[in-house]
Amino acid sequence: MNDAILEVDGLTKRFGSMLALNNVSFDLRVGEVHALCGENGAGKSTLIKCLSGIWPGSSYEGEIKVNGQLVNFHGIRDTEQVGIAVIYQELALVSEMTVAENIFLGSAPTNAWGCIDWNKLYSDAHQLLLQYGLLLDPMATVADLGIGEQQMIEIVKALAKDTKILLLDEPTAALTETEVEVLLGIIRALRARGVTCVYISHKLDEVFAIADRITVLRDGTSVTTKDTANTSKSEVIQSMVGRKIEDLFPRRSTEPKDVLLKVSSLTVRDDVHDRIVLDHISFEVRAGEVLGIGGLMGAGRTELVMHLFGAFGERISGAVQLKGKSFPPCTPAQAIANGMMLVSEDRKRSGLVLEKEIGFNQSLASLSRLKKGLFIDQLKEANRNWELFKALHIRAQGLETIVGTLSGGNQQKVVLAKALMTDPDVIFLDEPTRGIDVGAKLEVYEQINKLTSAGKAVVLVSSELPELMGMSDRILVLSSGKIGGEFTRAQAQQNLILEAAMAHS
Amino acid sequence: MTQKSSIRNYSIAIGLVLIWAFFAIATDNFLSARNLSMLFIELAVTATLALGMFLILLPGQIDLSVGSGVGLIGGIAAVLIFQYHWNASTAMSAGVVVAVALWTLMGALITCHRMPAFVITLGGLLIFKGLFWMVIASETVPVVAGGGDNAMSLLTTFYLPPTLGYVVLAALSLLITIGKIRSRRQRAAYGFDVETAEASFLKVFITCQVLLLAILIMNQFRGVPLAVLVLGVVTCLVHMIASQTPFGRYLYAIGGNREAAVLSGIPVNTVIIGAYALLGGVVAITGFMQTAYSGASTTTIGNLMELDAIAACVIGGTSLAGGRGNVTGVLIGALIMATLLNGMTLMAVSPETKFIARGAVLVLAVWLDVYVSKK
Repeated sequence: MNDAILEVDGLTKRFGSMLALNNVSFDLRVGEVHALCGENGAGKSTLIKCLSGIWPGSSYEGEIKVNGQLVNFHGIRDTEQVGIAVIYQELALVSEMTVAENIFLGSAPTNAWGCIDWNKLYSDAHQLLLQYGLLLDPMATVADLGIGEQQMIEIVKALAKDTKILLLDEPTAALTETEVEVLLGIIRALRARGVTCVYISHKLDEVFAIADRITVLRDGTSVTTKDTANTSKSEVIQSMVGRKIEDLFPRRSTEPKDVLLKVSSLTVRDDVHDRIVLDHISFEVRAGEVLGIGGLMGAGRTELVMHLFGAFGERISGAVQLKGKSFPPCTPAQAIANGMMLVSEDRKRSGLVLEKEIGFNQSLASLSRLKKGLFIDQLKEANRNWELFKALHIRAQGLETIVGTLSGGNQQKVVLAKALMTDPDVIFLDEPTRGIDVGAKLEVYEQINKLTSAGKAVVLVSSELPELMGMSDRILVLSSGKIGGEFTRAQAQQNLILEAAMAHS
Repeated sequence: MTQKSSIRNYSIAIGLVLIWAFFAIATDNFLSARNLSMLFIELAVTATLALGMFLILLPGQIDLSVGSGVGLIGGIAAVLIFQYHWNASTAMSAGVVVAVALWTLMGALITCHRMPAFVITLGGLLIFKGLFWMVIASETVPVVAGGGDNAMSLLTTFYLPPTLGYVVLAALSLLITIGKIRSRRQRAAYGFDVETAEASFLKVFITCQVLLLAILIMNQFRGVPLAVLVLGVVTCLVHMIASQTPFGRYLYAIGGNREAAVLSGIPVNTVIIGAYALLGGVVAITGFMQTAYSGASTTTIGNLMELDAIAACVIGGTSLAGGRGNVTGVLIGALIMATLLNGMTLMAVSPETKFIARGAVLVLAVWLDVYVSKK
């Protein structure tokens, strides 16, 4: 760890009058893992885009040097040439092609006739996968693999191009804990081979497990760079947010009251893939209570809330009671009308109309209540929209800002606002803080507290154990579609929950 | 309306002006009152159908069958009038009922099993064409039985007396002005940004001037054609549906992100079927106008009109993927398509060249769209 392979000096990038990056400087040492931390909107993505040539050299001020030489990128080809590759949060694989085809997409070995040399392609891919200890079949179709495995392929694809600097943008956002472990293992192996990695993540546990140094960005400026050994999580969070955070999970428990939702012996079939995904699930949620739902990926957590909301699967048996009355399988429209609402797992795919305004999205699920005759009561709509816009501290110019231009945290707040506007009694939050920063997380937690103190029931699905344990009053752990265990807040312990999550696998 | 889409509307409007300038120079009588009046009637037919198509493109659907449908529904009305001596209004009502029923059925087929609209309506194109020829027995069926006029033929032959034209103009100008003042006040009350008073005044002023010019031109010939009035009513309705009702919001939401729409409790299937039903009504109205404009139902009525309608929407900035578009754009797009056809007919351009020119303009407009949105 000595020479700088990449130096960024005084980088300033403007969008119109807005300063996205303000005099950012940092350096990468050969073979280190360097974490970039910061809230959404702090400038991490812009920095990555400058480093990967998406924003050309003429569009920003300041210098980027690779191996001491000033560079001026004009596109991804240029950055590939000096050995920089980026792994984005959204995977860029062709899902209908095989693993090997994806790895060598655009650089497939050819034979004398200019046709693809399939034998070489597959044996090269096999070699490459083995090098990184991945037991994947190069002939497998990508669509059949899990998200975690796809992420690995993405990385191998980058390495096939003789990459020296790997920029990983939120690589673990969609991975399970086991998959994260494998990924961190690969990064360690890369470090040992002298590949330099920039690791961007909101998950500080991972950052501290893998990074040699940490640079914190705040409001487009680089605040500090520290050796991981000489800093602590709370110090990093403090420099990210700019103030001291007393409690990461500010749960204020309230006295549980009547049972709002009671599920008895629910068995659900996935009608697309024709298999049982939920097997005799029973639980109840009371007014003023947060029920956490834990489990590994694929355990049926999302399927459970989606089914109760009427958006998934076929009910084979079991009964649901809502506010004391029997509630048959329904459509999402009926669920909303009866006081249930869902904040879905993937805000971009199923939560937001990205090319529309904030106001459009917030009121979308409540329009039937905002009608005056045939038309929308625009005054009422605007008032409700502003109320939530302000209550959730959405950072945007106004209700007419296009949602797609917002940062992840603010997009999540818009989804939450949409859900809150329907005034639900039972609200399902499926991974409500995935990929959002500490500040926005705290505001989501604050809303959960407000809901429960107003006598609503919250069902919180989360893959992050600290969040699950910190915010739930009770935790239900699913394991392969069955109940693996149930814990009160006092009983909940990380190892017990993990054990329960594997109970039926 | 976002800034980008208004910039886009301006650039398309400039394109329209250029096309008009070209025809004004290249032909002797493009700008004559008589020709412009005819152009307005042709516009009314194209634009009405395009507005219906717009409602179906918004939720990301498509309809290839509307051209055949225009022929079929016009043919049914003509046969009822000419061969069965029905009263024209009754015959047209029957046509509307048939059209709405057929399109509702297509909508139901498309949504219930999530079959691709492209295939179902391609089937509709062929089936309706066959039914159409069967209904008129592949002959020419006049829209009036034994001379004179009826409600159907009047659609394209009746003109409002000049004074009435001015009354309509005055009423429209008043409505637009009041509407603008009201929307400004409301926007301020809702806490939205309000454009400057000057900008608002200029917009209202220019709109009223354009309307005045249009009505002056039409009055120079015979007055405002009834068909143009029909277009006006359809435009207002479609605009209000798209921008002021939950149904309209749902159309945008389904086209923008279908999954999010489902999870927001939007009855996606019902909304799409509703949009097809509305399109059915629009097809019927277009069918009556187009058939009346030709004077009789013949086998070629409605040929390729679906492509003109889709082209008008796309030129006007409606996204084929759904979720994006506005009524003003569609009107401008339709005017471009109608102008091209009218102008080239005046220049006695061969049919071959007409097709090529219209296709080229469509491609150019889409290229411009992509180019502008990248900038």
